[in-house]
Amino acid sequence: MLELANVTVQFGGLSAVKDVSLRMGSDEMVGLVGPNGAGKTTLFNVISGLVKPIHGRVLFDGVDVMHEPDYKRARLGLGRTFQIPQPMHELTVRENLVVAQRFGAGRVDAARIDEILELLQLTEQAGRDAATGLALQELKRLEVAKALATEPKLLLLDEVLAGLETQGKRLFMEKLREVHARYRIGILIIEHDIETISSLCPRVVVLDFGQIIADGTPQQVFNDPAVIRSYTGVEHA
Amino acid sequence: MNQRNFLFAVLLLATYVLVPAVFGDNNYVMGLIISALIVAGIAIAWALLGNLGGMVSFGHAAFFGVGSYASALLTMKLGWPVLLAMPMAGLIAVLFSAAMLPALRLSGPYFALAILAYAQIFRILATEMDWLTQGAKGLSRIPTLPVLFGIDLGSRSGSYLVIVTLLAAFIACYAWVRRSHYGTALRAMHDSEQATRVVGVNSVMLKAWMLFLSAFMTGVIGAFNAHTINFLEPDYAFGGGWSVLPIVAAIFGGYRTLSGPVIGALCIYLIDQLLFKSLLPTGHQIMLGVLLAAMILFAPDGLLPLFRRRHA
Amino acid sequence: MAELILQALYSGLLNGGVYALMAIGLALSFGTMRVINLAHGELVLLAAYMAYVVESRLDLSPLAAIPLAMAVACAGSALVYLLVARIRKNRELNSLMLSFAIGIIITNAVLLIWSGDIHSTGSVSLQEAVQLGSLYSMRSELYGFLASLVLVTLLWQWLAKSWYGRAVRAVSSQRDAAKLMGINPAKTELISFLVAGLLAGCAGVALYSSSVIQPSLGHALTVKAFIITVLAGVGSVPGVLAASVLLGITEALTVTLWSSAVQELAGMLLFLLVLFVLPNGLFGAARRRA
Repeated sequence: MLELANVTVQFGGLSAVKDVSLRMGSDEMVGLVGPNGAGKTTLFNVISGLVKPIHGRVLFDGVDVMHEPDYKRARLGLGRTFQIPQPMHELTVRENLVVAQRFGAGRVDAARIDEILELLQLTEQAGRDAATGLALQELKRLEVAKALATEPKLLLLDEVLAGLETQGKRLFMEKLREVHARYRIGILIIEHDIETISSLCPRVVVLDFGQIIADGTPQQVFNDPAVIRSYTGVEHA
Repeated sequence: MNQRNFLFAVLLLATYVLVPAVFGDNNYVMGLIISALIVAGIAIAWALLGNLGGMVSFGHAAFFGVGSYASALLTMKLGWPVLLAMPMAGLIAVLFSAAMLPALRLSGPYFALAILAYAQIFRILATEMDWLTQGAKGLSRIPTLPVLFGIDLGSRSGSYLVIVTLLAAFIACYAWVRRSHYGTALRAMHDSEQATRVVGVNSVMLKAWMLFLSAFMTGVIGAFNAHTINFLEPDYAFGGGWSVLPIVAAIFGGYRTLSGPVIGALCIYLIDQLLFKSLLPTGHQIMLGVLLAAMILFAPDGLLPLFRRRHA
Repeated sequence: MAELILQALYSGLLNGGVYALMAIGLALSFGTMRVINLAHGELVLLAAYMAYVVESRLDLSPLAAIPLAMAVACAGSALVYLLVARIRKNRELNSLMLSFAIGIIITNAVLLIWSGDIHSTGSVSLQEAVQLGSLYSMRSELYGFLASLVLVTLLWQWLAKSWYGRAVRAVSSQRDAAKLMGINPAKTELISFLVAGLLAGCAGVALYSSSVIQPSLGHALTVKAFIITVLAGVGSVPGVLAASVLLGITEALTVTLWSSAVQELAGMLLFLLVLFVLPNGLFGAARRRA
């Protein structure tokens, strides 16, 4: 359903993403890992239309979306979250979801919004000001809720699990599995923690210095010498 | 009917019936009120663009001038009926505002001054294209508003009813947009445009609609003015006053509220004409400058919210 | 025809010099504080009226008014800075409206004090024609241009070499970093407004010496100065000078080839063209304004 073909991004002469090709199906849950600065978020930005690659194509549902602006990609079914939460300011939590649903999914369905609020444990906070009234973890859940409200076919999650303690992480992972199964949404998730990603995703893609260095089951990937080198080299330096 | 709606109905009735009944015979007072309401109309349009669209304009005279010339020319050269020419003038103002679409991607000050540039360009064009506009000589004997259902709309009381109706329609439209999902999305865009775009909001398109709506309102008000004073010249129709007064009015009343621009316009215009002008026949605008500066420094949200906060 | 065009280029060049004096001040205050002082042209006009007062009341040459004009424009500029600095909320737009209001106040104060009549210098020596090859100008125009060249060069050197100059540049490009380096942004901003005032004072005297002044001119001058800063793009003194000359020449050519009524139109169209086609200005370093 999502296909990246030879995507290359440059920032001021430096390649942030180099010749990346990737395919994933609509029933998949894929982990995207790699050291800081490997180009994971940049890749998300390319997919959602915030960054223009100098080379390569992005196909979604078999359609070339390279020339579709960011808001159109959201309407086509590409939902995303930001690593640093970006709530819509001056709106309540519920209004955030209403706007996302109305413009992203093109319809208004209060029941579905209640469902999403419930799922992400934001029902109590629904009336609060999103930008000022939420704690960090609530903001992260709002990120996911907003993306879900657009009724996406593919969800791009940027480190939504980071900073959670073990119990919270386990709960959130349950939620993600539920979202994946209930709404039949493909999920591409950026995550640092190897253990988390291994238990969540049957398939893991490793990015290093802007290039894919491994792609396979967690077992294959994390036993790959190149991956071990990149992880031990950067993470434990 | 709840209390708020009841109050609103009483206010509407008073505006429509009481004001003409009390002041109807006094041409001077009615003229003053109509002029204040003209400023109020532009102030609403300005505040709509500023509050919902998040864009400050220094050039609403552009739309006002285009609207007034369009309506005058439609009625004089093509013989259109006045009441048909007025909305058409609004649409023509929208057409001209489409020339400003590239300016939408500019941020605050650049947008504000780009619009100012358009106002200047339009004024010069109106002066230079004398085959159409009769240039600096101006247009005179512009048709007045017609008689409708036995009411002479061209009389002071009739014109008053027309402008009040226009303002009511503008406010209703503004309120509707603000309450709609578009209004919610626009509110979100001010500080978080990217977050709003990635959930599917075409922010540039929404801003464009606000520009169009604002241009339409201002154009119609310009047309109304042309048919009430029956005379136009470029320096008047595109004059800076049509940009400045509404800004001061909207800021004074509170440009984030619905009624602020109207109340602000009534206060500012009447104070300016009755008090400042008698104190300082020339240069009375200095007081407007002082007022605007004081508002920005001490109550940037306007007087209405200030009162509300005191009483809260 | 060729002679006329050559003469227009020459007049435009001389005019551009005076424009540069106004525009650099505006660009400087914009650069350090991200605030467009919409009363800047009015300050220039106020300085021009100082020259008028000195000439008409004291019977001195307008050039003798330079210290007074500078002092008045400087004081005005500092006042604008102090008021704008008080704004806490939504500074970008509120400062725009505040300085706009100050501009209205100055324009009308000028109108109240000196009436709406137009004034120009009565000095014969300043108005005398000076011939350079086949090109003519008033002596005052030539003086104004030369003075502008000297001042602009001095300013350029000052910005490049002095401690304050470096601070101004540091604050312009990286406000927070400048703070960390121990530079006081408020002081730097005030200095840039003061320098803007000094230049505005000179520009006012040059304006009065070579053309006519009237109260409504201030607003037009602000717009011109703003157009130039957009043309130049933020960043360089020579860029502002070049853009000023470009505007001067464009206006002069428009007058020669078309009519004086559309002189302003040329500037406006140039402004919009650059704004939309070259988002970084003609000479500017990359800096987005969208």
